[in-house]
Amino acid sequence: MCSIGNELENGSEKYMPHIDKTQVDKQKCNKCKEATPCILLRGKDSYCKPCFLLNTNHKFKLLLGKSKLIRPRDKVLVTYEIGHPSTALLHLIRDGLNLNTPKKLTFDPVFVFVDDQYHLSLSERKDVISNILTEAAHHEFKIKFLSFVDWVLYNRIILSDNSDYIKADDGDKIVSLFTKKMNETNRKEFFNIEKKNALIAVAKQLECKFIFKPDISVDVASNLLINISLGKGSQISMDTGFCDDRDDSVKVLSPLRLFDMKELAFYNLLNKLNPVAIRQIKVDPYSSAQNLLKKFVTELQEGYPATVTTVVKTGDKLVSDIKVLGKCKFCKGPVFKNSELNSEESTHFSKLVSTYLPDRDMSKQDRFDDIKKTFESTVYMTPQHCYSCSKISEYLLDDGSD
Amino acid sequence: MKVNCEYGGGCDLLFGTKQETYELPSSSTAWTVGELLLWLAEKHLKTTQENFLQGDSVRPGILVMINEMDWELLDTTNYVLKENDTVIFFSTLHGG
Repeated sequence: MCSIGNELENGSEKYMPHIDKTQVDKQKCNKCKEATPCILLRGKDSYCKPCFLLNTNHKFKLLLGKSKLIRPRDKVLVTYEIGHPSTALLHLIRDGLNLNTPKKLTFDPVFVFVDDQYHLSLSERKDVISNILTEAAHHEFKIKFLSFVDWVLYNRIILSDNSDYIKADDGDKIVSLFTKKMNETNRKEFFNIEKKNALIAVAKQLECKFIFKPDISVDVASNLLINISLGKGSQISMDTGFCDDRDDSVKVLSPLRLFDMKELAFYNLLNKLNPVAIRQIKVDPYSSAQNLLKKFVTELQEGYPATVTTVVKTGDKLVSDIKVLGKCKFCKGPVFKNSELNSEESTHFSKLVSTYLPDRDMSKQDRFDDIKKTFESTVYMTPQHCYSCSKISEYLLDDGSD
Repeated sequence: MKVNCEYGGGCDLLFGTKQETYELPSSSTAWTVGELLLWLAEKHLKTTQENFLQGDSVRPGILVMINEMDWELLDTTNYVLKENDTVIFFSTLHGG
């Protein structure tokens, strides 16, 4: 009798084997097989300093080169965010631009920081801007600042070269934006989309064809799960892929999507770069779907180093084949229509039937036809927002455009 | 025994310094990094312990390097400190 699988019945073998970190070869670098390693990645791959730095540079340029999207002298808007990924990105770009080999980067970068640090005091915000300017100057780059509150409230793009745009009441203005109570999940989603829209608008103003965002692998993995939880599964390939091409003239790229935080933090440390740091705020992981999913992915990654890679690689295979009706007015994502009623439409139909006052003079068939006609006249109109944005649409300012 | 500690990436905000050399109190047993963490948290941390520690190790998101080597290659908290060792604490949590 076949005995394959019997071993699953006895105890621990049914679980994933635990990798004993003390068994990892710590004597030799994984790549050159000679030098003593100085960093351990993914709990199993050890590298010496030269191989690690070379590998990191190579990985960055490989992803950009493979896509073949950026042509020489194209202007690229590089989004600066406080933390290790942006610091590493500054260094990687400067390093690539300074090369004299065929692998030299040939695009023209423009750095922009969207300032939304409203939890900091006025003096802390000014210090942060001053530190960012110092960091950019260290890499011989100039950086421009956009006040997020100006964009959200007035759709205004005023780019500054220093911290003069900072006003004491910026934080209050953001709070006063919502007259109705909005939950944290929707608020975060609203700000995320507004930030992306602001960057696209800035890119258009600066005539940039591309935007680099400093999302790393754990951001991509948690964004994928967040998209599913918010009913934006159809946008996964755009939101978490290498290239988000939902805008016709500006493509948003994620050149760091295959890096993890440890990799970039060590890259900075070994290059003696100290990123700008801000005071930490206590985040309640249960206050929003975004926080919860980020916590879930990060903690799972601690125990199982393949978690993020698995989620990212699975996400890369997901595409939507449903007919697109149009673009969402807010996030510019696709608006779909199924041939059958989806759950949202079914709920809408149910609500209509239970609240509709029928005309008793009509025959049963006429009453049915009447309510069906009413339903179809509402539901089969092309929706202005995708499902996810329809949940926050009541808070959106109408810009008057169709 | 003297140990050099460096703080970066935002850990400097937790300890109020970027670099410090400490004279560790003499002990009958050798000092491990795990014991150093608890000693630092008790004596020199300027904020609550949960911002630096989790259990008997550092909080996830804080990286540790001992003499320019990832501490994961050196048995993490069990590494036995030697005179003039340099321990770097580097946070990945202070972004925004």
